[in-house]
Parts: sequence; C-alpha cells; structure tokens
Amino acid sequence: MRRREVPGAYVRGDSLAHRLDARVKIVLLVLATVATFAASVPSGLAIVLAGLVCALAASRTSPLTVLRGLRPAALVLGFSVLANAVVLVGQPGISTDGLGRSVTAVARIILLVGFALTLSSTTMPTDVAAALASLMSPLARLGVPVGGIATATSVALRFIPITADEVERIRCAQRARGAVLEGSLAATLRGWRQVLVPLVVALLRRADDLAEAMSDRCYTGEQTSMAEPLRPRDWAALALAAVWALAAALL
Amino acid sequence: MVELRDVSFSYDAEKNVLEHVSFGLRPGEHVVLLGRNGSGKSTLGRLLNGSLRPSSGTVLLDGVDVTGAPRGVLARAAGYVRQDPLAQIVSDLGFDEVAFGPRNLGLSPAEVRERVEEALAACGIAPLARRLTSELSGGQQQLLALAGALAMRPAHLVLDEADAHLDQATRTRLRAVVRTAVARGAGVLEIAHSGEALPDATRVIVLSAGRLAWEGSPEALLRDPAALAASGLESDPVAAALSRAVASGHGLAQAARPEVLGRFAEKDAPLAVVSRPARERLVARDVAVSYGDVEALRGASLGAGGLTLLLGASGSGKTTLARVLAGVLDPDAGEASLDGARVRPGTVGLSFQRPEDQLFCETVLDDVAYGPRARGAGEDGARELARSVATRLGVDEELLGRSPFSLSGGQMRRVALAGVMAARPAAYVFDEPSAGLDAPGRAELARTVRGIADEGAAVVVITHDAGEWLDVADGVAFMRVGRVTARASAREARRSPELFEAAGLEAPLLVRARSAREVSPRA
Repeated sequence: MRRREVPGAYVRGDSLAHRLDARVKIVLLVLATVATFAASVPSGLAIVLAGLVCALAASRTSPLTVLRGLRPAALVLGFSVLANAVVLVGQPGISTDGLGRSVTAVARIILLVGFALTLSSTTMPTDVAAALASLMSPLARLGVPVGGIATATSVALRFIPITADEVERIRCAQRARGAVLEGSLAATLRGWRQVLVPLVVALLRRADDLAEAMSDRCYTGEQTSMAEPLRPRDWAALALAAVWALAAALL
Repeated sequence: MVELRDVSFSYDAEKNVLEHVSFGLRPGEHVVLLGRNGSGKSTLGRLLNGSLRPSSGTVLLDGVDVTGAPRGVLARAAGYVRQDPLAQIVSDLGFDEVAFGPRNLGLSPAEVRERVEEALAACGIAPLARRLTSELSGGQQQLLALAGALAMRPAHLVLDEADAHLDQATRTRLRAVVRTAVARGAGVLEIAHSGEALPDATRVIVLSAGRLAWEGSPEALLRDPAALAASGLESDPVAAALSRAVASGHGLAQAARPEVLGRFAEKDAPLAVVSRPARERLVARDVAVSYGDVEALRGASLGAGGLTLLLGASGSGKTTLARVLAGVLDPDAGEASLDGARVRPGTVGLSFQRPEDQLFCETVLDDVAYGPRARGAGEDGARELARSVATRLGVDEELLGRSPFSLSGGQMRRVALAGVMAARPAAYVFDEPSAGLDAPGRAELARTVRGIADEGAAVVVITHDAGEWLDVADGVAFMRVGRVTARASAREARRSPELFEAAGLEAPLLVRARSAREVSPRA
C-alpha cells in the first residue's frame, strides 16, 4: 500500500495552470509539441525553453519533477546521445556533428516531457477525458461514440491507482501465506503469474459491478455537457501561446 | 409504486434464485428485506430497479407493465446503492460523481448543479464536492454514492447492504438520510443483515431459498421465533435483545432506546472466559510507517495475546498496523515480533475481507495445502492436513477438486480461512472478516476465531462490527491517528461507550445500552 509520488500524477492545487480550462490546456500542449519540434537551434529552442519555464512556474511544478519523470527513459536517451556521437565506421572517433544532433533531439524530448507533465499534474483525468470529448465532438457527426470514449478513458485512468492497490493487497495476502513472490527470475515470474490470476478475477468482477452501477444511473453514453464557456484568461493563454509557438518556429 | 407479480428468476436457466415472489414497494414505506446469504435478496432488489429482468412474471411501475420496457424506465424510478463504494464510484471529483446520474438524464447544466447541491446537502457532505473521491474514506465514499442516487430524485431507493462496510458513526448518518428520504415520500427497500435495521422499518419481508417466507411488521417478526430463524437474525445479538424487549411489552421504538434495551442486553453471557490475562505473543513496538508525506503510523505499540479487537476510525492506521504485524510491510521504524522473534512473512496468518485476494492455486485442495507445503510438510502430509482443516471449517469434500474461483462467496470464504489456518501460524490477523456475512455466518466465524484463540494463538481482529465481536474477545485496543491510544478488557469495553468516543468512534448500540442501564437502572 506504500504509495510513491508518481511524477506527472495529478497534484491538487490552485495555480494558474490548475485554473485554466482543460480544453485550452490540451490545445496548448499540441501547440507546444509543434513548437518544440519546429524550433530552430539555438534561438527557437531557447524560446521554447522560456515557455517551459513559464509553464512550470504557472503550474508550480518543480523542474526536479520533470527530471524524475525522465528517469525511466534516461538510459535510452543517454544511449542515443552516445550512439550518435561515437563513430565506428570510416574514421572512428567522436563526431561533434552527431553529438550536436543527438543533444538537440534529446533536449526536444526533455522539453516535451516537461510540457506534458505540467498538463497531467494540473488536470484531473476526468477533466482530460471530458476535454478530449469536447474537442473531438465534431467527430460525433461521423458516428464516432465520443461520449463513450471519454467515459471509458476517464474510468480507465481512475482505475490505475485502484489496480495498484489491488495488486499490493493480493501480494500482501499471498506473502502472508508463505508465498515467495520475489527472488530468482523464475521465482519472480511465477510470483507475478500467481498474483495475476486473482487480480484479473477481481478486476473483471469490478468492471462488471461498475458497468452495472453506471447503468443503474441511466448511463447510455449521452450526457449533459457541463463545459463552461472559455473565460478571458483562457483566450489570453491561447493567444499568447500561439504567438510564442510561431516565434519559436520562425525565429 | 414498483411491484413484482409472481416473479421467478434464474441466472443459469436451471435453478431458480427467486420463485413466484410477489412484492410491492409503496411510496413512503421503509421495507427491510432479510434472509440468509444466497436467499435471493440482491436479485430481488435488482429486479426492482430493472438491472435484472424476470424469467417469468411481471414488473409494474405505478400500475403499468414495464417488464419489457427499456432499462432506463426502472433505473430512473428506483435508485440503487451497493455495498462496496469502490464498485460504484465513477468520477474523480465529488461534484462530478453526484452529477453523473442527472447528466445522464439529459437535464440542463443549471438543473444538474441544483440537484447536486441538494443531494450533497441532504447527505450532509457539501464540503466533499471539491474533494477527490480517491482521497475520501470508505464512509465518505458511501455517503457520496447515496447522494449520487438521490440526485436522480428516484421515487424508490434500494439499499443493498449499503452499510456493511461502514463504521457505526457513518451508519447512523446514513440511517438519518434514509429516514428523511422516507419522510419525503420515497419508498425504500433496505437489504439488511443486522437487527439495527429493524427500528426504522415499516414492514419486514423475509426471503428463504428464493421464496417469500414471511411478511409483517418488525414487532411481529421479533415475536415470531420461526420468522426470526428464517431471517437469520436469530443469532444477531441486537435482534435478540430487541426481541426480548418487545416480548415484555415494549413498543419497538421504545425498545431501541439504549436505556430500555440495556435491561435486555445482558442475558447473553460473553463466550470469552477471561480467567487470566493471555500472554502477549504478537507484539508491535513503536512502529512508524509513512506513505509519501502521510504518516499512517506514528509510534504504534500493541501487545496481543488471546483475542484482541483493534478498533479505530477509518484512517487511524488499523490496516497498516495489521500488515506490519503480519510481517508483509516493513515499518520505517520500530518492529513487530512473535514470541520474541522478528515477524517474517508467512509466520503470522493474515486474512482480508475479500477471500479472492488470498486464493491462487488451481484447486481448492492445492490452495489449502499451499501453506503447509511451503512450511515443508511434504506432499502427503500437506494434503492430509488440508483435508482435515477443510472438514473442520465445513468445506464440502466434493469442492476440493474445483477451482477456488468458481465457488460461491460463502464457500470461498471458508476455503480462504482454511488456507490460512492450515499453515498453523502461531498468530493471526483478521482484517474486517465479517463484513457482508449474514448473522449465522458471523456467529459461526466468531466461534471459529474464538476456537483458534483458545488453542493458544494470538489473534487480532479489525472490525466495524465491534458490538458482536466484543462478546468473543479478550481485550480491545483503540487506535487514533496512528497510535494505539487505549487498551481495555473486552468485559470493560462492553459497557463503556466513553472508550469508543475517546477514540473518535460511535459506540455500538449494545454498548450504549449496557452503559445506559448502569447509569439509570430504573429508566
């Protein structure tokens, strides 16, 4: 049951970024993605970095969180820098060109992770889902079940921590019965299989119950939209971000 | 009014779970539905709200046949609140959760907001609107689920053991909300397992093996031993005391008052005979555990011998302490020991409320034999031990070859308990073992656990049903904000509501009753 702080998980707060409309934040993330990849070196990237600093400040996210968020990918990123820098064919040695290229590529990824984290740590999963549904609503005319997709996304996101708790509880119960769930690779694999069976049983039952509870409350896929009109600060954020993205791409 | 007329239902087209049941739920009445586990109570509730359709017979809503009507017709007419809050909460935010139903009804945003505010206020949880549902205690989540049902303004409400996982204080709040809803004209069907539901009832029905076995007023039920037996409340201590009070001429409302009930609560002698204080075998010393920046335990110490109840409000750290005691959670500071040696995983039996969590082998026999095998009993020895423990706990011989996941809830519980006991640990920790069991099931479990303690094992039981477990316990430990703040003998706790109150708990009805009797013997 020991919960670790997951980088990027929603953190309750009242920062400017928390108060922005979720739809706007998603559009901002799209703009930031375009800007990050279209930015020239080095002036464009500097502008993007300045944007990230603003985003982190507006969401009161520590840069350390971004670094922690990168940890799982650190090995791959480091390796790709090396692989691009070291030349083995022709004239073996270090290629500064390659090094420069790979460092910018990695820098772009780091910037992007930073933007994504500011979105995810300031926006609740249900809000993300509702915002996506609202942005995708034109697709409903083509027969895409937008409301259903949004609800499914939101429930799936909600179930991540619940599933983690479930795994933890099952492991506790099994270890208390003398089951060895860790150790050699074979033991660890056997341990996970042993946890997986009751986990799947529990999750399937839970999914059934939840579906039942949703239809008890008349869920059909169509819901009143509670989205409010965008406020001045949302429009301002959009305008600023558009100018910023253009600047990063063109300068 | 929702009405079932001569309804039968079968899940597998072979065996009927309900047979020729006729029942109507009228506005403004509070019907308590009783019956043993597996008697078809939830099935009846789900037929009323349309989530199941009868195999034969008809369902009427205000006189109109709605047997074949779309699902939404009955779902709108009858709200449904389940036992497990986790199984019914859909949203991250309190407000969104309550708004889910009204939004499905296609109401305007303004009306949705109005209904949410009204429902939250009715349940007394307005501040939860801006809270994350995942941060709430089980009790708060359940009140939120109730608000979610009320926000749809259903004319009828089905409560399917909605209070089984709640502590006494939240149960009291839930009852008050339901009483108000009934007074406003809602028809409520409450599926219950305890005598505490009776004083609010306007009518009681009893299901037995899928048939309507009895119907009448709660007083009449309490006067009718055969009906009590069929309802399963025969072995419920609250029902027993109420029934004696009613038999000696008290009205039910009066009988439920602690100062009256107290005179009838003392007849059952506790099972535990405290001749000498049991030796403390399972000990936690100055245990501290934190999750991130939340301190779950801050220097908790507990010595347990015999049968010890561990009580505390939700969030007080009971479950965390249970895991430390069982050796499956390493504390940040302090330690847990069994007979002086540090607890290792596997040396203390740990049992959770949901039996599925601890089963994992392919057959029942294999699963029960797992513990002894892990302790080196050898294949034959392990199987033999498994068979004998399974027999002792009433697991049918024919089930031994089946997959544990294919069993019914009650059988699965027995198998899970057998698996824990077969390893013959010197100490046990039970986390909410009796939630969702019917009264005879709870009594049987309490006897089994008492038996384990009598054989010398140290047993710790965490429970919301303190009222019943006090009758079999030796001692009680109260927890508050991460520490064990008080110890008492069960004998003393049985009549001391102030011990519960000091720990931020509401004392069980019977404890209040015994205490009220001592204060005013002539009341």
